[in-house]
Amino acid sequence: MSLREIVVVSGKGGTGKTTLTSVLARALSGNAVLCDADVDVPDLWILLKPSVHSEEEFVGGNKAALLRPPCDDCGLCVPVCRFGALSSENGRVILDRSRCEGCGACTLLCPRGAFSLSPAVQGRIYGSETDFGPFWHARLVPGGENSGRLVQLLREKARASALEQGKSWILVDGPPGIACPAISAMTGCSIALAVTEPSKSGLHDLKRLGELAKRFRVPMAVVLNRSDLSAEGARAVRQACREAGWPLVAEIPFLVGVVEDLARARIPEAIPPETVRRVLEGIDGLVVRR
Amino acid sequence: MRPLGREPFSVAVVSGKGGTGKTSFSASLALSGQPVAAVDADVEEPNLALLLGDPVLATMNVSLPVPAVDTERCTRCGTCSRTCRFGAVFSFGKAVPVFNDLCHGCGACVLACPEKALYEVERPVGFVGRGNANGIIVVEGRLLVGMPNPVPVIGRTVELGLAEGLDTVIDSPPGAACPMVAAVRKARAVILVTEPTPFGRADAEVVAQVLREMGKPAALVVNRSGILEEAPPFEGVLGTLPVLARLPFSRAVAEGAARGIPPTEVDSSWKEAAGAAWEWARRVAK
Repeated sequence: MSLREIVVVSGKGGTGKTTLTSVLARALSGNAVLCDADVDVPDLWILLKPSVHSEEEFVGGNKAALLRPPCDDCGLCVPVCRFGALSSENGRVILDRSRCEGCGACTLLCPRGAFSLSPAVQGRIYGSETDFGPFWHARLVPGGENSGRLVQLLREKARASALEQGKSWILVDGPPGIACPAISAMTGCSIALAVTEPSKSGLHDLKRLGELAKRFRVPMAVVLNRSDLSAEGARAVRQACREAGWPLVAEIPFLVGVVEDLARARIPEAIPPETVRRVLEGIDGLVVRR
Repeated sequence: MRPLGREPFSVAVVSGKGGTGKTSFSASLALSGQPVAAVDADVEEPNLALLLGDPVLATMNVSLPVPAVDTERCTRCGTCSRTCRFGAVFSFGKAVPVFNDLCHGCGACVLACPEKALYEVERPVGFVGRGNANGIIVVEGRLLVGMPNPVPVIGRTVELGLAEGLDTVIDSPPGAACPMVAAVRKARAVILVTEPTPFGRADAEVVAQVLREMGKPAALVVNRSGILEEAPPFEGVLGTLPVLARLPFSRAVAEGAARGIPPTEVDSSWKEAAGAAWEWARRVAK
């Protein structure tokens, strides 16, 4: 059987990505490699309770350093930095490394060679074991560069584990939004499973996500979470799914039990197993049809 | 418009975890502190305007200077592709270099080209919309779908919002990485909206650490409090921040927000919380 990679995404945050990923992980127990691609504020570990067996540094991009001497504060570099990392105060050049994106323009320009560029540690990568299978996760340094590259590395590691251990699924908990980490998490996946809610903002964000999936040629299916929060909103989501051709594979009502379980850091018991099965069957059909 | 003798100030609303109520709280602040500019710096998924009556917005492009090549001058030497740190330039044998969406607009390739064959053109990466929602100036940033880097759009959106010269609320993106940092960089005070779940706490702690490093005054608003009676107190850097308000777990607020109704119209505790937040922000932003 071929390897299928599901990425759970949402656009809008807080719609239930991690919740859904955790119940899918339980349902696929033993058959999947798990991966948390929200490397900025990762949460899946809270539910999966991993035991970490390997840990490595993630070197993501470069940062400039200013050496004095040879810097003579000529200030030529200041207008060259497009990211506002260089400024001049009282005739002295100041480098704000937190704004440096590591492009190296300053190193190219400086007539005295006062800048050096060196790789910066931007996070850590963890390989873990959980009750449900191997788990790859990471953590960006606080305020770190929002690294698509880190997400890409995690997915490569998850894939290697899956091939090595003969697993048929990779389950990726995606980041919110539609920019670099979301693009990195989605590109090349078998299917994007979008979790939305029946709100104006949920629908707005779902449509943007759908555009992104289309652009990167990833088929998308939808789960409508907290479906009973607004009848009007739910109708609008169903209609949008019909019009765009996104299969709506399951609807999950607002369940107090889910909220309570999550508050206790437990994988929710309240989501019925039939619902989870429907999601998996729904996606399976799509992946095969692809 | 604003009272004489007082400089306008800006307060950013952040959360770490998505869906904790950032946008709802931003709208509440905007609705209880007029005249204000309400800036939506969550440019990947801008939703603030939806809670403020969805006003018509006039838009302008945000663009990035990206390289273009003069094929007559280009000798296919490959210096540009070796210089680019972002994998945005491909040059291959006898073909002219090709540039992709990963470009940060840094200009390094243009500086490096020995033949002066590269020049820069403006490429749209997003836009900023401006409108008036019953007296609130709404300034909304929007990243074009497919563009990887939201930071330039965030920077421009905040800049244009602050240029209104009013007290400003900045609804920030989730997370603690570069988009959040770009949204709060110019704010004088930051409100951290969180929920007392393990997820809310873990994510808010990362944000609190970043804010401390940036030297930003920060305070907490705890949303959906009371989910668990035995919820433990906040620890770490979070534990050092003042708690301005605890908002109850409310299905009515969620139902309202789903339909685009701001929580201040549903639950008076949000109005009080917004009042407390303005007062705190005015005090610390001196």
